Amino acid sequence: MGATLAQQAVPRDTGVFEFLLDPDRWTGSTGILASGADSVLLCAAVIVTSIVLAVPAATVLAHGRRLELTSAWVVNIGRAMPTFGVAGLLVPFSLRAGYGFEPWPIFIALTLLTVPPMYLSTYTAIRQVPAGAVDAARAVGYTERDVLLRVELPLALRVIGTGVRVAAVQVVATEPIRAFLGGDGLGRYVRDGLGQNNSNLVIAGAILIGLLAASTGLLFAGLEWLLMPAGVRRLGGARTGRVQSSDATILTTDDGDGEAAGGPPGLHVASEPAEAGASSGGVRGSP
Amino acid sequence: MSALVHAVDALRVPLPLAQGVTENNPIIRWSYLTEQSDRIIQALVQHVQLTVGAVSIGLALSMVLAGIGLRYRWTMGPITGTTAVLYTIPSVAFFGVLVPYTGSSATTALIPLVCFTLLILVTNIVDGFRAVPRPVKEAAEGMGLSPTSRVLTVELPIATPYIINGLRIATVTTVGLVTVAAIIGYGGLGRLILDGLRRGFWTPLTIGAALSILLAIVLDLAFFLLGRALTPWSRSVRTGRSGDHGEAGDDADAGSDPAGAARPVTAGA
Repeated sequence: MGATLAQQAVPRDTGVFEFLLDPDRWTGSTGILASGADSVLLCAAVIVTSIVLAVPAATVLAHGRRLELTSAWVVNIGRAMPTFGVAGLLVPFSLRAGYGFEPWPIFIALTLLTVPPMYLSTYTAIRQVPAGAVDAARAVGYTERDVLLRVELPLALRVIGTGVRVAAVQVVATEPIRAFLGGDGLGRYVRDGLGQNNSNLVIAGAILIGLLAASTGLLFAGLEWLLMPAGVRRLGGARTGRVQSSDATILTTDDGDGEAAGGPPGLHVASEPAEAGASSGGVRGSP
Repeated sequence: MSALVHAVDALRVPLPLAQGVTENNPIIRWSYLTEQSDRIIQALVQHVQLTVGAVSIGLALSMVLAGIGLRYRWTMGPITGTTAVLYTIPSVAFFGVLVPYTGSSATTALIPLVCFTLLILVTNIVDGFRAVPRPVKEAAEGMGLSPTSRVLTVELPIATPYIINGLRIATVTTVGLVTVAAIIGYGGLGRLILDGLRRGFWTPLTIGAALSILLAIVLDLAFFLLGRALTPWSRSVRTGRSGDHGEAGDDADAGSDPAGAARPVTAGA
């Protein structure tokens, strides 16, 4: 595979918006559309993989209140992984195995970045479902499976959705480092701009990356709303999210010292003022 | 600007095309560790400096922001919103955009790094002070403590686990982000990674990547131990059950309220 590395030469006196509004810049193999598609494809693959890996496992384990301590450790170790370092470390191995610079190292690194917070937010979302609702469901004869699928999951959906949205934005915000790892994607304009000492190109690239990250946040917010069961939506945030679902959820993990703090080990979501949840767009990762 | 030109010169060297791992170019050549130990140590030191610098400045700013937010409640929304937006800015874009203005300098590296810590720190500090139960505050007032000494001797210790936890997350995140600052020529261990990638020489790449991961893990562990050391009392607190919604709001202990959910938002304010 190898890196394409076709640099786009842009005259230094090209203005930022002159660049962005020139149709020729959008087409072709080094064009904005092709690079954007490159980025979107990788990000989509990472997000889907992470959801598949994290959400079902966390849901089932949280339902049984199992592996709480292990979960805390996994999340912790995952958070300590610098994405750029991990991806860089994987590059020679990928080359040795004949897979080239791209896309496996960055794919694996981004997935490692995303799975822990997604797992954590899902786990906590299920755990914070009011015990009364769960007990009531059991009392009217729901099987454990029904309790999970028809009570816990719908009530947790809002917080799970937030976790997925935050993680998705994080992936999109981190993906541009791929341009420095032998790949392309939207990060290429920043890389090329730095390489050609062309600050307008750097700024144009930064705008494109920022726009993609912002639209990812909006897209997932829309999806969250669409996928919310009507009944849960009617409840409003007040009762389903006993914890206001917010981006900060993921940032306030209380981990391994759960037992030290005297509580049930592991997971802790801090409450957060309602207004913060609405205004914040997403969360960045730890590349 | 010469520093910028220098940093940018390095970037002009294209990546080697699919150069593999060979006998001459193994994943790690151990002799490099002794031959280039100066360079490795220098990179490590710069990495630690940037991390400590960013988190310290971030902590100072966050204390002020959290203080304002707690004192004047209406400012909390804008403060959290702004820090969240800053946090969302893609790192590559943030570093890149500053180069035309501040050049390839420590400032260019520090501005994004500091901005990225704010949301984490502000959120955790605010949560910490909100976790102080009202009866505790009233008792402190009743005993005649001045507002300053109440904050310092009663509220701060209760908020400490939250603050340490925020510092821990912010530090680990920053260690990762510093490597990205290599793209502007100022990334500590990230420079070893980028240099290795550019030259297709795997040894510095492997060393830089491995040390950055190791540094993150070591600092994470250090804050975990610091948190334990600073709050010896928290280890003896009785465990509260997660289902006890009623009492959790009065529970001073962070860990015993796993969902944090039961704590009414107003209780701490």
